[in-house]
Amino acid sequence: MRIKVWGARGSIPAPGPETMRYGGNTSCVELTLSDGSTLILDAGTGIRNLGLARVGGGPTQQPIHILLTHLHLDHIQGLMFFAPAFQPESEITIWGPVSPEASLCDRIARYISAPLAPVEVRELPSHVSFREVESLEWEVGSARVSACAVNHRGPTLGYRIDDGGTSLCYIPDHEPGLGAPLTELDDDWISGFELARGASMLIHDCQYTDAEYAKHIGWGHSPVSDALCFAHRVHAERVLLFHHDPMHTDEFLDALQSEVEAAWEALGGGGVKIELATERSEIVFGGHGAPVARDPAAESAAIRAGASRTAS
Amino acid sequence: MSAQRPLELILARNLLSSISTPAFLVSEHGELLYFNDAAAAMLGRRFEERGVMALEDWIAEFGPFGSDEAPIPNDVNPAAVALRNNQPFHGNFRICAAGGIRRDVAASAIPIVGAGGSSGGIVIFWPLD
Repeated sequence: MRIKVWGARGSIPAPGPETMRYGGNTSCVELTLSDGSTLILDAGTGIRNLGLARVGGGPTQQPIHILLTHLHLDHIQGLMFFAPAFQPESEITIWGPVSPEASLCDRIARYISAPLAPVEVRELPSHVSFREVESLEWEVGSARVSACAVNHRGPTLGYRIDDGGTSLCYIPDHEPGLGAPLTELDDDWISGFELARGASMLIHDCQYTDAEYAKHIGWGHSPVSDALCFAHRVHAERVLLFHHDPMHTDEFLDALQSEVEAAWEALGGGGVKIELATERSEIVFGGHGAPVARDPAAESAAIRAGASRTAS
Repeated sequence: MSAQRPLELILARNLLSSISTPAFLVSEHGELLYFNDAAAAMLGRRFEERGVMALEDWIAEFGPFGSDEAPIPNDVNPAAVALRNNQPFHGNFRICAAGGIRRDVAASAIPIVGAGGSSGGIVIFWPLD
């Protein structure tokens, strides 16, 4: 499996010189499966560049699957700016959590409609369909996708994608320790545990430092200590900490990375790589898990080409 | 892959563990999944000592009993009514605490319904003696 992080920020985009390295775009991860097909995890503002790169790479008949964990704005804001959605030949399936209150389509349409947007969902020229997910499993390309409700505010899913013996677990917004210390709970009483158990790669919420968390209990996000405890307990083989707080600058996150490594070592996590997610980073995992050599020039060229084609 | 407990049960357990009102958490099949420290004080037994209990086991051990000391039928057992009818139910009865001590309590049961349907219920107790 190969992932590319197109947005790792939480809550609201945080562009600017102080967030250049970790990035300011909100949640979006592209996952390439062993058969070459792709899944898109969340549609925060990071999906805009993903879409441009995809369009810039030339025409493709490959269907697009977007797995939304939930419908908070930082996870859907990019949908309106996802270039393939404006191409008639695109086939897009959007998966997301079920709600007793309204259909997935109707809930997304609250954003893609007046007065927040200039077009309506039904006016998108692409073929867009919506699939509501409870706790279930299904297949996409060479992968088996599992979804499970996890602890956040409002209906929220975590996803696990298994493909040829390698697995990715994606829980970007998660507060598993709300109301009870994770260290004292049995496995089956921990939100997201089975989904993440033994994952080759765990992408998990780590929005707050422990000091910050004290003022944000119940907001649906993890402090560092809970993120590490969760990752350690599920025996993830590699961990990518995600959903950086918009107030956290590159300098702050660099310092946090050092603190995380020390805490991880103290927890007994030695040998398992843990790092803070960085926008535009690419990782191949499972097997040798070698880092991917980035080609920023080619990446930018594809995005520029996509922008040019979209504008014309 | 085995499923985690339904999220609404996880959240309910976390809530019960944080309050000082005696409370039970039961599964949709009536298993006693958890009781909090306040309930432990009322019963004279800690959840960690008992663990998850089948419906017939916890009813035999804790009750509910009527004033005549006989087990009360399921059609007036708040937990059973809440689970069966998917509606809140309130009743007064006796429970059996450690050492065979009978205690009069009022109890309200509330069903828990998640996206996948009924997943259990909460029973909250108020000691009357």
